[in-house]
Amino acid sequence: MPRARLLPLPCAAWLVTVLAAAPAPARLEFNRDIRPILSENCFQCHGQDPAKREGKLRLDDRDDATRARDGRVAIAPGKPGESELLLRLLSSHEDERMPPAKSNKRVTSAQIALLRQWIAEGAAYEKHWAFVPPKKHAVPKGTNPIDAFVGATLAKHDLHPAPPAPPETWLRRAALDLTGLPPTPAELDAFLADVKKRGEPAYAAATDRLLASPHYGERPAIEGLDAARYADPLGFNNDSARTMWRWRDWVIEAFNANLPYDRFITEQLAGDLLPKPTLEQRIATGFGRNHVINSEGGIIGEEYRVEYVADRVRTLSTSWLGLTMECAKCHDHKFDPVSQRDYFRLFAFFNNVPEHGEDGRVANAVPMIPAPTRAQQATLAEQEKRIAALDAELRKSANSQPSAASAHAEIARLEERKSSPLLAPYDAPPSDEIAPVVPAAKLDFTAKTGAAVAFWLRPDGDNPRDAPLLSALNHRGNPADTQFGKGRELRLVNGEIEVRLSDRFPMYATVARSQGAGIRPGVWRHVALSYAGGKNAAALRLWIDGTEVALHVLHDGQQAEPPKRDWIVGADNAPESARWRGELRQLRGFASAITTDSVRAEFFAAANELSPAAAARFANLAGSERFRQRNALWEEHLALRRSLPTAMVMEELPTPRPAHVLTRGNYDAPGERVEPGVPEALLAPWPAGAPRNRLGLAQWLTQRDHPLTARVVVNRFWAHLFGTGLVKTLEDFGSQSEWPSHPELLDWLARDFVDGGWDVKAFFKRAVLSATYRQTSAVSPALLARDPENRLLARGPRVRLPAELIRDQALAVSGLLASRIGGPSVFPYQPESLYTGIVVGAAYPGTTWTPSAGADLHRRSLYTFWKRTVPHPAMIAFDAPDREFCTVRRSRTNTPLQALVLWNEPGLLEAARHLGARMLREGGGDDDARVAFAFRLATARQPRPEETRVLTAALARLRIDFSTTPADAAALLRVGATAADPSLPPAELAAAASVASMILSLDETITKN
Amino acid sequence: MSCQNYQRFHSRRDFLAQTGLGLGSAALASLFTRDARAASAPATAPIGALPGLPHFAPKAKRVFCLFQSGGPSHLDLLDEKPVLAARFNEDLPDSVRRGQRITGMVASQARLAVQPSRFAFQPGGKCGTRISDLLPHTRDIADEICVLRSLHTEAINHDPAITFFQSGSQLPGRPSMGAWVDYGLGRLSDNLPAFVVLVSVNTKRAGQGLLARLWGSGFLPSAHQGVQFRSAGEPVLYLNDPEGLTRARRRTMLDGIGELNRLQHAQSGDPEVETRIAQFELAYRMQASVPELMDLKGESAAVRESYGPEVETPGSFARNCLLARRLAERGVRFIQLYHRDWDHHGSLHEQLPQIAKDVDQPSAALVRDLKQRGLLDDTLVIWGGEFGRTPYAQGQANRERYGRDHHGKAFSIWMAGAGIKAGTTYGASDDFGFNVAENPVHIHDLQATILHQLGIDHERLTYKFQGRQYRLTDVHGHVVKGVLT
Repeated sequence: MPRARLLPLPCAAWLVTVLAAAPAPARLEFNRDIRPILSENCFQCHGQDPAKREGKLRLDDRDDATRARDGRVAIAPGKPGESELLLRLLSSHEDERMPPAKSNKRVTSAQIALLRQWIAEGAAYEKHWAFVPPKKHAVPKGTNPIDAFVGATLAKHDLHPAPPAPPETWLRRAALDLTGLPPTPAELDAFLADVKKRGEPAYAAATDRLLASPHYGERPAIEGLDAARYADPLGFNNDSARTMWRWRDWVIEAFNANLPYDRFITEQLAGDLLPKPTLEQRIATGFGRNHVINSEGGIIGEEYRVEYVADRVRTLSTSWLGLTMECAKCHDHKFDPVSQRDYFRLFAFFNNVPEHGEDGRVANAVPMIPAPTRAQQATLAEQEKRIAALDAELRKSANSQPSAASAHAEIARLEERKSSPLLAPYDAPPSDEIAPVVPAAKLDFTAKTGAAVAFWLRPDGDNPRDAPLLSALNHRGNPADTQFGKGRELRLVNGEIEVRLSDRFPMYATVARSQGAGIRPGVWRHVALSYAGGKNAAALRLWIDGTEVALHVLHDGQQAEPPKRDWIVGADNAPESARWRGELRQLRGFASAITTDSVRAEFFAAANELSPAAAARFANLAGSERFRQRNALWEEHLALRRSLPTAMVMEELPTPRPAHVLTRGNYDAPGERVEPGVPEALLAPWPAGAPRNRLGLAQWLTQRDHPLTARVVVNRFWAHLFGTGLVKTLEDFGSQSEWPSHPELLDWLARDFVDGGWDVKAFFKRAVLSATYRQTSAVSPALLARDPENRLLARGPRVRLPAELIRDQALAVSGLLASRIGGPSVFPYQPESLYTGIVVGAAYPGTTWTPSAGADLHRRSLYTFWKRTVPHPAMIAFDAPDREFCTVRRSRTNTPLQALVLWNEPGLLEAARHLGARMLREGGGDDDARVAFAFRLATARQPRPEETRVLTAALARLRIDFSTTPADAAALLRVGATAADPSLPPAELAAAASVASMILSLDETITKN
Repeated sequence: MSCQNYQRFHSRRDFLAQTGLGLGSAALASLFTRDARAASAPATAPIGALPGLPHFAPKAKRVFCLFQSGGPSHLDLLDEKPVLAARFNEDLPDSVRRGQRITGMVASQARLAVQPSRFAFQPGGKCGTRISDLLPHTRDIADEICVLRSLHTEAINHDPAITFFQSGSQLPGRPSMGAWVDYGLGRLSDNLPAFVVLVSVNTKRAGQGLLARLWGSGFLPSAHQGVQFRSAGEPVLYLNDPEGLTRARRRTMLDGIGELNRLQHAQSGDPEVETRIAQFELAYRMQASVPELMDLKGESAAVRESYGPEVETPGSFARNCLLARRLAERGVRFIQLYHRDWDHHGSLHEQLPQIAKDVDQPSAALVRDLKQRGLLDDTLVIWGGEFGRTPYAQGQANRERYGRDHHGKAFSIWMAGAGIKAGTTYGASDDFGFNVAENPVHIHDLQATILHQLGIDHERLTYKFQGRQYRLTDVHGHVVKGVLT
């Protein structure tokens, strides 16, 4: 593609080049003027990594740099002429000159002059600015601090702020930044009237309205999802679907609720470790699980498990520390004072998740939890309340005997509902004899037809914690082998029944365990399991003594149906198998799923003999209407529980995995053992009393005087509004980062953010109301030449919209937007052949794209199913990342493919047609009014006469053109799933749609002006 | 981007002038009148090259990477090992394996039994390079190619290994080779991208998943990512105007957009608007140039036949080879083909002959076609996959029916064209084809060599990201001088 607008990355030269117009600083500052030169050119070989240090010389440490060696000194404070550093930089001898030619580094003469001045001034070093807590510099009272700092910098550069943008331009800018949606004409009119009426307060009121919108949370979520590498599939070459949208919705909700940002960090890092964590706090920890997970057969699990932990470190350090910690994975950091040991101490915090390296081929990887939506939570709670009430009534009525006749009738009814067994009642021999085998055909768990099994059991007292009851699962061989762990199994684990249907245990298996089965030694219990077929845990139901119990799903990743095997009763084929001890009787198998009624019939058939008390209890209640109600409600409750979405979460192993420095970062080369810890001397002390786990880490990160966290966060929010951060390298605040354009402003904002309770909405409000933000973005050639990237902020921001907003805006102005917030991801139009020849050739979920129906075609783009290996092409064209890992800065390119998307993407064409229809229906009686109506919808302003003329000329020409070719008009109107408004003449509508498409393609439309 | 490079971007106006995108209205007007065919010819000077690049006179103007995804078996195709037959079904000696890791798919096999190839090898051409009967056409061009038998890689599974081959890192996030080349050398065509990807879609069986990241731009600006040209649907996504929107209507609309954008530029002063005007015009030209390119009408029957009968099937490897040549003629610099399904864990004896047949004739025809047109001298062709396969059987060893697991410690590829020693072999694996025995070529060495042929010093093509100067070859890689003339 032609080289489009690049976002050049930072480097020392920038300062020299761009700020050359600025007066030379009276006295140099090490951090601003000198460190970038040394860091870029010298630290790689003369920095803090002892392994790569040349000539035993450090230039990042003043004591070392100023120490005499063999009568020579690298830096002689006050004496540039005696400083070897300068001599080497200026040397004409190839073998003496620094940096060495092969390093491809070059120090300019301007930089050498700065170094000379700095040495002459005494060669003072400073700790890197970003590692020193921010100071709150004083600002004049009554001014917006942003404007005070920006104004001071402008004055220093002899520049003046630009005049304010027109109110409608500001409103569109603020609306797109705070809600991601353009203002409607009604909102514009109301705002303009309000400005006219009361001036300044109208701006604050509009800001408050935008921040209170339920769509506010959807806007900062976009950058939040990039940073958290949120996506809908698992990544790597299988890239099948996972379910993490409950985490995504948590983020939106958190922004909407204005959750203080320190809690936003804490709950995502360590919500599970908070005292009595709520469901939402546990869902928040999905932040630590959004990383890619590999399910390619044959990988070495530990290699990838280590990568997942490394990904958590990288994500944390990029998104909240602004440090490139991952550079220290294989060796000490070349530029920043971070050692490999520091890296692995941070790594140790994230090393204790009970997870597998290979997992998630068809579903979420463990650990995961059921994650009901707010609405589902309410329903569940309501059901539980009603069940408790019925239980209380039933307890009361248990004393009043129901009529024997009604109980008898119920038992007779159940008898008729008995399922016919595949396996006739079978009593296992005593468990000290050789374990008997039931042929596979007699207990046939086929995925197509389903199956069921029922039996009575009475465990002895000396059973192991986990004992096999019925096992047709292969425990032999290497767990890494793709043939390992195939089959089916029922086990007794801590008095609960565990069911396993497994293609490869444990990661490609369905594993569910009862909750509250209450199986105890010496007590007969009737157990029934029904399986409705398929691969999901939702197909499983379990009853104890005729009452259904809940199943807790431990894993739901069965990929394929396992082969049939014979069942071993009371034992398994593991090399050191534990034998179950106790009695097992009346074992029956069924060829399909069974119902509660038939389970009860099974239970009742032998209950009088084996468990007379249970039989009596049951007979007591059997005829009661309340009992029937209670059961129906309970089963409804369990059915809802089976249907809940899940979410992957962070959990801690009971015993932490030992963490080691991994030599060269290799998973199979553990070195020194390390304990969890942070670079305290460099950044901030460990908070007194904080636990040495992720929760303590969150407390460390969010302590008031942490030098990085708040700066990194406010800088990112700043970039969201202004297009570029005050520190341009949003991802790196280390010594290779760029000097902030407004260091005192950054510090003030960071300080104020923390002192004000990490209030994100307050930050946005202050910023969008600042005169700096409200400036017009128009630029003169002179200013453009002086400050092409608008780092000095002598004008307002003008940047192309993010991919999501380009589509969302088109949907909004066309009236198509379905504004529902949250829920499972959706599938808007996508080219049909996109996956052809690319995606894995297996029927995993997420490997096909079936367009959504109805409103889900027109949801906001952050809900579009985000497939990492083949992301939506219209999003990628506008620089959305693939989300394979943490991204905090998108590039912003300008390419011909973007034109093709704007012109021909069916969703945008459909939006253009609807916008065209709105022009005709709502735009007024003549062409001038109609094009002005659409133009204003898209740009928030009235077109100038010359602009109107261009549009009306096109409209007139296209109208004539389409009226002579009705077939063409009809064809154009067919694009998209919605039907064209039949009340509008097709040629007229086609012409209006074409003009609307022009408007949606304008540079101004896709740009925040 | 390095500091030196940045200086040229410090003024966007300079930048636009250099990249040919900052066109005044007069220049735009002249673009309107260019017809698609004339505009199809390669531009004379590259557009958007970094200053100082190429670092030295290039041997290759363009690269074809015929990537065989899944791990083709070197032992059955390019690297004959009689010892395997002599030691059929013996255990792979520990002295050969040397404790090297193997995948989870065979980790629990009781033994690693030596598995010979059932396919015969014959000498090809005057040089006599021995190549399997599965690749007879490739054997016929033995005098044009150099077979490298000492490739080695670090990854043992598809995703990391392919990502490593294409981006120099096993993990996602780095730019692909083509993106690096586009970033460094710019475009040769003013209406086609520099980096184009063609994926076979008609394989009989589906294979391992490919990933858009294999032609992604990683941390480079996304404009450098490869553009996939497709055989089904639109050749470039969203290229076609909707039915009913004729070319004339598109022109009417684009003229209006251009005029409004120019008014916007006058108001805002933002040079980004000028760039957009130029990019819209380029898109309009692509709408004509791409279909012309994809249309094989102008190709003679003889040429079509030379690529084999599959050339008539859109999406076939054969068709993509011929399209690749057409792309090259129109100035596309880096052309990446993917053909999947070389992952023969079992039934290699059945599947390998089929897939070899898919690609053998077209690959050889492409080399011949390039040569005939005088393009081979400045075109680099690379044929191979992300790793090879094991000399031991996955499962039981069997003289007729067998499969092989992934193997990265030694495998083979071939190269041809610009500055490559034709009619030679380079490097060797040991008697078992398990380890490299002489002249090892690491993936980073291959990447360094590809860049070298394009006139790029792989150590000096860098981009600063997260505070560090990154390269395609990380901190490794040596140009393989032994394969160069």
